[in-house]
Amino acid sequence: MKKYVVFILLTIFSLYSCNELDLSPLDQGSSENWYSSETQFEMAINDFYRLAFWYYTPTPHDHQQWSDDYTCRNNRTVFTSGTFNSETGFVKTFWNNQYKSIGRAIKVIENLERGRENGISDTKLKQYEAEARFTLASRYAYLTFAFGDIPLVKGQIDIDEAYSMSRTPKEEVIDYIYENFDFAIENLPKEYSKKMRATKGAALALKARYALYFGDYGIAAEAAEDCMELGIYSLNPDYAELFVTKNAEESIFLLPRSLENNIYETVRNAIPRTGNGGWTAVNPSWALLASYECTDGLPVDESPLFNPRNPFENRDPRCTATIVEFGTTLLGVEFDPHPDKKQVMDYNSGKMVKNNDTRANATYASFNGLNWRKGIDETWGPSTSYQMSNDFVSIRYADVLLIYAEAKTELNQIDESVISAINQVRARAYGVNENDKQQYPAIEIMSQSDLRKKIRNERRVEFAYEGLRYNDLIRWRIAGETLSRPQPGLLHPASLLREEVVNPGLWFWAYTPQIDENGIADFSELLNNNKAQVLSQGDWDDRQYLWPIPDEEIIINDNMVQNPGY
Amino acid sequence: MKINISSDHFLIKKSEFNDLFKIMKICFFLLFVFVFQMMATNIEAQDAVINLESNTVNVRMLISEIEKQTDYLVVYSNREVNTSREVTLKKKSDKVSEYLHQTFNGTDIGYEFENNYIVLSRKAQETASILTGLTQTAQQLGKTVKGSVTDSNGEPIIGATIVLKGDATRGTVTDIDGNYSIPNIKDNDVLQITYVGMKAQEVNTSGRSTINVIMEADIELLDEVVVVGYGTMKKSDLTGAIATIDGDKLAQRNATQLSTALQGAIPGLMVTRSNSEPGATANIKIRGITTIGDSDPLVIVDGVPGDINMIHSKDIESITVLKDAASASIYGSRAAAGVIVISTKRAKSNVLSLNYDFNYGMEIPTSQPKNVGIQRYLEMANELRYNDNPNGGEYQEYTQEQVNNWVDMNLTDPDTYPITDWRELLIRNYAPRQSHTLSLSGGNNFVKTRASLNYDDIDGLLTVNNINYKRYIATVNNDFTFNKYLNASFDFNVKRTESYEPSQTNIWYMIRAYSPAYAWKWSHGGLADVKGGNNPYGRVKEGGSNQGWFTKLGGRLAINFTPIEGLKFSAVASPNYSISKTKIFNLQAGYTGSDNPSNVIGYFQDHTSTSLSERRYDNNDLTTQFLLTYDKKLKRHGLNFLAGNENYSYFYENLSASRDLYELKEFPYLSIGPRTLIDNGGNAHEIAYRSFFGRFAYSYANKYLFQANYRYDGSSRFHRDFRWGGFPSISLGWVLSEENFIKNINFENLSFLKLRASYGTLGNERIGNYPYQALIDFTHSLFYDNPSSTDATYHNGAAQIQYAIKDLSWETTKSYDIGLDAVFFNNKMSITADYYRKETNDMLLDLKIPGYVGFANPQQNTGKMFTKGFDFEATWRDEIGDFRYSISANLSDFVSEMGDLGGTQFIGNKVKFEGSEFNEWYGYLSDGLFLSQEDIDNSATLNSNVTVGDVKFLDISGPDGEPDGLISSEYDRVLLGGSLPRFMFGGTITGGYKDFDISMAFQGVGKQNVRITSGMATAMPGNWGHIPAILDNDYWSSFNTEEENAKARYPRLTYVNGSSNLYMSDFWMFNGRYFRMKNLTVGYTLPVTLTQKVNISRLRFYISGNDLFCLSKYPTGWDPERGDSSYPITSSLLFGININF
Repeated sequence: MKKYVVFILLTIFSLYSCNELDLSPLDQGSSENWYSSETQFEMAINDFYRLAFWYYTPTPHDHQQWSDDYTCRNNRTVFTSGTFNSETGFVKTFWNNQYKSIGRAIKVIENLERGRENGISDTKLKQYEAEARFTLASRYAYLTFAFGDIPLVKGQIDIDEAYSMSRTPKEEVIDYIYENFDFAIENLPKEYSKKMRATKGAALALKARYALYFGDYGIAAEAAEDCMELGIYSLNPDYAELFVTKNAEESIFLLPRSLENNIYETVRNAIPRTGNGGWTAVNPSWALLASYECTDGLPVDESPLFNPRNPFENRDPRCTATIVEFGTTLLGVEFDPHPDKKQVMDYNSGKMVKNNDTRANATYASFNGLNWRKGIDETWGPSTSYQMSNDFVSIRYADVLLIYAEAKTELNQIDESVISAINQVRARAYGVNENDKQQYPAIEIMSQSDLRKKIRNERRVEFAYEGLRYNDLIRWRIAGETLSRPQPGLLHPASLLREEVVNPGLWFWAYTPQIDENGIADFSELLNNNKAQVLSQGDWDDRQYLWPIPDEEIIINDNMVQNPGY
Repeated sequence: MKINISSDHFLIKKSEFNDLFKIMKICFFLLFVFVFQMMATNIEAQDAVINLESNTVNVRMLISEIEKQTDYLVVYSNREVNTSREVTLKKKSDKVSEYLHQTFNGTDIGYEFENNYIVLSRKAQETASILTGLTQTAQQLGKTVKGSVTDSNGEPIIGATIVLKGDATRGTVTDIDGNYSIPNIKDNDVLQITYVGMKAQEVNTSGRSTINVIMEADIELLDEVVVVGYGTMKKSDLTGAIATIDGDKLAQRNATQLSTALQGAIPGLMVTRSNSEPGATANIKIRGITTIGDSDPLVIVDGVPGDINMIHSKDIESITVLKDAASASIYGSRAAAGVIVISTKRAKSNVLSLNYDFNYGMEIPTSQPKNVGIQRYLEMANELRYNDNPNGGEYQEYTQEQVNNWVDMNLTDPDTYPITDWRELLIRNYAPRQSHTLSLSGGNNFVKTRASLNYDDIDGLLTVNNINYKRYIATVNNDFTFNKYLNASFDFNVKRTESYEPSQTNIWYMIRAYSPAYAWKWSHGGLADVKGGNNPYGRVKEGGSNQGWFTKLGGRLAINFTPIEGLKFSAVASPNYSISKTKIFNLQAGYTGSDNPSNVIGYFQDHTSTSLSERRYDNNDLTTQFLLTYDKKLKRHGLNFLAGNENYSYFYENLSASRDLYELKEFPYLSIGPRTLIDNGGNAHEIAYRSFFGRFAYSYANKYLFQANYRYDGSSRFHRDFRWGGFPSISLGWVLSEENFIKNINFENLSFLKLRASYGTLGNERIGNYPYQALIDFTHSLFYDNPSSTDATYHNGAAQIQYAIKDLSWETTKSYDIGLDAVFFNNKMSITADYYRKETNDMLLDLKIPGYVGFANPQQNTGKMFTKGFDFEATWRDEIGDFRYSISANLSDFVSEMGDLGGTQFIGNKVKFEGSEFNEWYGYLSDGLFLSQEDIDNSATLNSNVTVGDVKFLDISGPDGEPDGLISSEYDRVLLGGSLPRFMFGGTITGGYKDFDISMAFQGVGKQNVRITSGMATAMPGNWGHIPAILDNDYWSSFNTEEENAKARYPRLTYVNGSSNLYMSDFWMFNGRYFRMKNLTVGYTLPVTLTQKVNISRLRFYISGNDLFCLSKYPTGWDPERGDSSYPITSSLLFGININF
C-alpha cells in the first residue's frame, strides 16, 4: 500500500513543471513579425480591396435609396425625414471603416523599409506603395466629400497625438488626395495578367471623379482625358447586358462578389412578388421614370412621342433596361401592376398564377407600380436565397466620358471632344455607333447651360441604381430641391384606383409630368387632381449637405467641432 | 478488513478519458454496480462459500478468510471474542454460515448478518452493542428500553451515546442501524443522548419501552466550520466578510440552474436574469461592480476553479461567498469580483443510504405584454399614417369600410380580413418539466463514497417545434483513508446537456410585435406569407432546428499527507474537459397563395434555403495545487499557516463548417450539401497562470484574531516584464463578548459579539487573450485572376487590428471592510453587518480612441472606480413545542462611481465617465410633450420633423457652453441616475410542525431607475407591427381634447419620429422596484412508524412554487426581469416526492 502511495506522489510531482506563461496567439499573427515577406505584404494589400471600405454603408442599397431615384413604400430615409444626426449608425461605421483602411495603408507604407531589408525588390515595393497610396487617396476622397474638413492622418500616430488633432481644412485634404492619386498613377501598372488589382486607369478615373466632385474641373478633365487616352477601356455594346456581365471591359475598377466565397448582397427587396417571392419594397421612383428622354431626344413634357398612358413607349432604351415595362417578363414571370390584371403568366411553371404585383391582390406590392430591371439576372431569386453576386463596379468607362464632358462644360471649353464623349454614351444606349447619328438622338454643340442640363440628365439615366445619383444631388446642391418633394404613388385601395384612374381610361399616368430646369419631374397635377397619392412627404434639411461628425469623436476630443446645424 | 467498494473505482483508471461515451457508460455502470452491491450482498453472501487451506484454524484466521473471500466485514470486540481459540471444521470448503455455526455453536458468542457486516457478540445482549466502551452494570430489575436514533433526514446515527442521567456508567452506543437497547431501566429514568454535531437530548422513559430519537443538527452557529480559501475555519475565528448558505436550502428552491437559485439568498450577491427559457442561467455579481471589464466572480468548486452551472443544487453541501479582499485575496489574481466557494456533498458516515427525489411540474408565464384589439389596431394604424403623411388622408392604411367592418368581414373572408393573435397561436399556457435525483452514499472507515445522478427535462412554451432542454449530471466523490498519515480523495463528474430549439431566433419579438391584420394560414389550409414571408408560425414550425450537445467532464485527485499532527501536505490535480457541438439545420420553408394550397409562391424570411451549420468546440483546463498547512493550538495561542503554489492552464479550440442550398431536408449532414456556398473556420486560444500564496492566522484566547494573506500571480495575458502582481491583505477580529468588561455587564441576551476589519488588494486581467500584442487578423478579398475571368478567386488579407500597449499590467482593487457579527438570546438571533469601500486602480479599459487612429480601441491601465455599499443579514430561529421556525432576511446596497478614466468615456444610453455612476442613464431632459405649435416654434427641436405630440427635449447647452437652439446628442444629454438595482433584499421563512414543513423565499429590489423601453412603447415596430395595449387611451392624439392630451403619458403615434421620441430621456423613466415571491414549498413527511414497515426510512411529499407572484410598477404585462424580446419569465409549480432508504 505504501509503495502505491509513494508511486502516486511521485507521479504527481513528475507532472509538476512550471507551466508556460509566454503564450502567443494561435490563430492570429502579430505585427511585430509581419511585413517581412512578399506574401505578408501581399496579404496586407489584399485587405484594401474589401467591399466594406468601398461602400458608403454596410449595404450598398441604402446609399442608392438616399437619392430621388428610389422609393421604399411609404418610408422615408434619414435624409428625407430630416432625422439624420451624429448618432446615426451608418455615419459611425462609415467613418471608422474609412479610417481603418487608411491606418492599414499607412502601416504598409511605413514598413516598406523593412521589406527592403528583407530582400523584397524595389519594383515590388513601388507597386505596394502605389496601391497603398491609391487606397489613401480614395479613402480621403470618400471622407472629405461626406464630411468636409476632416482629421488628416498621414503617418502612424500615437494616442496622445490623436487626442490633440483637429479637423484639417478640406483644401489641404484634397491636395493630399491628388498627391497620392498622382503617385498611384505614376506607379501602378496599366493592366494585370494575373490577380487584378488597382490600375493606372483606376487611379486616373477616381481622381477625375473626385476632382469633379470637388469642383476642380481642370484636374478632372485632364485626368479623365488621360484615362481615355490609355486606350484600353471601351463601352460594352449592350447597355442592359453590361450590368449582368462579370468582369466587363467597361469596368475600370471593380470588386467582385461571389456566392461560393460568401461575398454577396441580399436583394429580396428588389425582386417582384409573383412567382419568385420577392418583396418589391425598393422601387424606381416615378421621377426616374419621367427623366428618360423620348427617342427624339426631348424630355417627356416636350416630346410629342410621349404617351402618359404607356410611359414606356418611345423612350430612351435605358428606360426599359432599368425599369420593368408592364406586361414584360422578369425572372420568368410577367410583371404588371394593373389592378385588373388578376392573373399573370408564370413562364417558369407555364401557368397563369395570381398576380401578386398589383396592390389589388397584395397590399405590399409595389406602391408606385414600378420594379427594377437593371442588373437583375436570372440567378436572382429563391434558388440563390435572394443573394446576388454581381460585381461592385466602383467606376466604369461611361462615367469617365461623362466626367470629361461635364468638367469641360463647366470650364466652358465645349468642343467636339465633349460632344463625342456624350454621344458615345448615348449611342451605346441605342446599341449603335456614335457616328450613326440618325439611329439615336445625338446631341450637337450647344450653350453651356443647355449642355449642363443635358449632361446632368444623362448621368441620371445612365447611372440609375449605381449609387452615384446621391453624390450628384449633393455636389450640384439640388438635394433640397428634389428630396423635399412628395413621393407620388398609385392610389390605394384598388377600388379608388379603378374609380379615379382605370375606369376613366387614365392608366398609367393621367397627365404628363412637367420637367423643371434641374431635370426634376413635377407630379403636382396628378396629385392635385387625386390621380395619384402622396406616399411620403420629404423633409430635407440643408445641414445634410455635410454629414455630421460621429458624436463620440466630438465627445472624446475637445478639438473636434461639429458641422453646422447638427 | 476488506475494502468493499473500491475495486469498482479502479475501473476509472483503466478507462480512457478521451472517449466521452465510455465515460458516460462507466458513470452509469458505477451507479448501478453500487446499487447492485447494496442489494445483492445481503441476499447472497450468507450462502457464499469460502475455501480454507486447513480444517483447523483459529478464530482470527477464519475471520480474516471470510473478509478476504466475501464482501463481509466481521465486527467484534476483542474483549468478548477469544480470537486465538482454535476450532476444527468439518470441511475445507463450506458456506460462511456453516463455518460460523460450527465455530460459535455452544459458546456465548452469537453471530448475525447485518448488511455487509457479520456481528459477533455475546448472546446475553439481545441486540448488538458493537462498541462496548461503556461498562454494563450488573443486572437489575427493570424494563429494557429499545429504540433507534436517526437524524432529521431519517438516516440512522451510528455511535450515538445513550447514558442514564446521573449514572454515566450505564449506557451504550447505537449500532450500525442506529438501534440501541438498555436493560434495567426504571420508570422516570432519564436517558441522555449525545452525538458530535447534534443537539444533546434528554428523554424521560416513563411508561415507554420503545423510544425513537430524532437528533437535530446542532445549530450552535459559532462552532460551525465554514469553507474558506484553501481550507476551512471555525466561523468564530473568521476575520473577513464571508456569507454561507446551506446546500439543502438551495436545493429546496428547485431551480434547475444553481445561479438562479442564488437569487436573494445571500446579501451582497446581485443575481440578474432576463428570461426563464429552459436552461437559462443568471448573471451573478458580488458586492457591486468594480471594473468596466469582466465583473463575474471566481467560482471555486471543491478547491479548484469551476463552473457554477455545472453543479446541481442538490449536490451542494454549502456555498461560501468570500466578499472582502481579506477573504478573497488568497485567490488574488482572479478574485477582484469576489469568490464563490462551493463544496459538494460527500459521504459523511459509514451508513449506506439511498435517496431519490422526483418532482414534476409546470412552467407558467408570469405576465405577458398585450397589444390592442383589432378594431383599435386599424384605427390607430390609420392615425399613425396620417400623422406621418397628412397629405395622404385619414385612411391610408385601411379604408373606412375596412375599419368599420373588419370583424364582420373576417367571418366571411378571413383570408382578406384576418385577425391573428400570435401569442395565442404560438405560446401555450404552461410547459411541463421534471427532475429526478438519485444519490447513494456509504462506506467504511477506509473508503467513503457518494454518487449521485441528476436528470432534468424541461419543455419550452412553444406550441410548435418546441424548445426542450435535458440535462444529466453524474458525480462520484470518493474519500480514501490509507492510514493515519495518508488520505486521498478522488472525485469525478460528468455533465451533459442537450438543447433543442427552433432555428428561428426572432420568435419572441415576432410574437409581441407583429401585426394582427395578417392571416397565418389561408382558409384552404396552406400557410400564408404574412407580409412577404414573415409568418412567425411558419418560420418557427417549419424553419428547422438549432440543437446543442454539451458535455463536460471534470475530475479531481487530492492526496493529503499528515506526517505530524497539525501539519498537512496536499497535492491536487484537477482536469476539466468540455466538448460541445451545435447543429443549426435551417430549413427552406415556403408559403402558399390564398388561391392555391399546393403551389409554394415564396419562402419565409431566413428560410429561403436549407442550410446546415455545425460547430464543434472543446476546451480543457488543468489546475494543479501544492499546499502546506500547519495548525497548532498552544494553550491560548492559535496558529494557522498555509503556503501554496497553483498552476492553471486553459486551451480552447473551435471548428465550424456550413453548407447552403441543400436540396433535401432530411439529412442534416455536411456531405449531403452542394459544393457551392461552403464555409468553414476554426480558431483557438490559450491562457495560463502561475501563483504562489500564503496565509498566516493567529488568535489569542479566542479574543484577538489576526490574519494576513499574500498572493503572487503571473498571467500569460501580460508581457513577461509586466506579468507579475502581488496581492496582500490583512484582517483583524476582536471578540468583545470574550472580554471581561462585556461579560461583567452581564447582558445575558448577548451570546457573542465580534468586530471585524480588513484591508486588501485584488487583481483582475480578464481583457481578451493577448492584449499586449499587435494582432494581425486575417480577412478575405476577392479578385479576378485574369482579365477574362468571370469567376472571382478568394485571397487572404491581413491587417493589424489592435493598437498594442506593451506595458499593460494588473488592474487592482483595494477593498476596505468593517463588520460585526452578533448573536443574541442564546443563539436564537444572529446579525451580520458589513460596510465596505472598494477602489479600483489602473483599470484595464477599452480606451476609446478617435476613429482616425484606425485601430480597434486598445486596452490600457487607466481609470479608477469607486464602489461602496453595505450588506446586512439577520436570522431568527426558535421552536415552540413541536413548532419550529426560522426567519432570515438580508439587505444590501452598493453604488459604483467612475473616477478618472484617463479621458475615456463610454457613451450611449448608459454611460461611464468621470463623475458618473457605473452604467448611469444618460439622455435628454424632457418637459413632457409638445402641446402646441407655438411651443414648438419657441423651442429647440431635435429635427425639423418634430410636431405637436412629440416629446419635448430641453436645450441644455451647445458648443459654446450655452443653449444653442438645437437639440444635439453632444451637448444636450445629461446624467439621469444610476441604472443598477439598489437596496436588493431577500429572505426566507421556514417552519415545521410535527410532520409538516413549510418554507418561503422572497427577493426584490428596493429602488431602480428603469425606462419604458422602445419594445414596450413602439407603435407599429418596423412600420407594420402591432400596437402595444398600454398606449391606447394614453397617447397624444389629434382626436383627443386638449385636457386629454395634457394628461397623455405617451407621444403621438408616428413611425418617422418614433425612434427620436424614444431616445433616452427622463420622459421614459420610472421606479422599477419589485417584490417577488421566489419560492414557496410545503412538505409532509409520513410518520416513520408507517414507512419503516416497508424499509423506507423517510418519505416526504412536497409542493413547491417558484416565482409565484411579483409586485411592481412595470407597465401592464411586463415582468421587471424580462427582456424586451426575450422568452417570458415563468412561474413554476412542482409536485415532488423524496424517498430515503
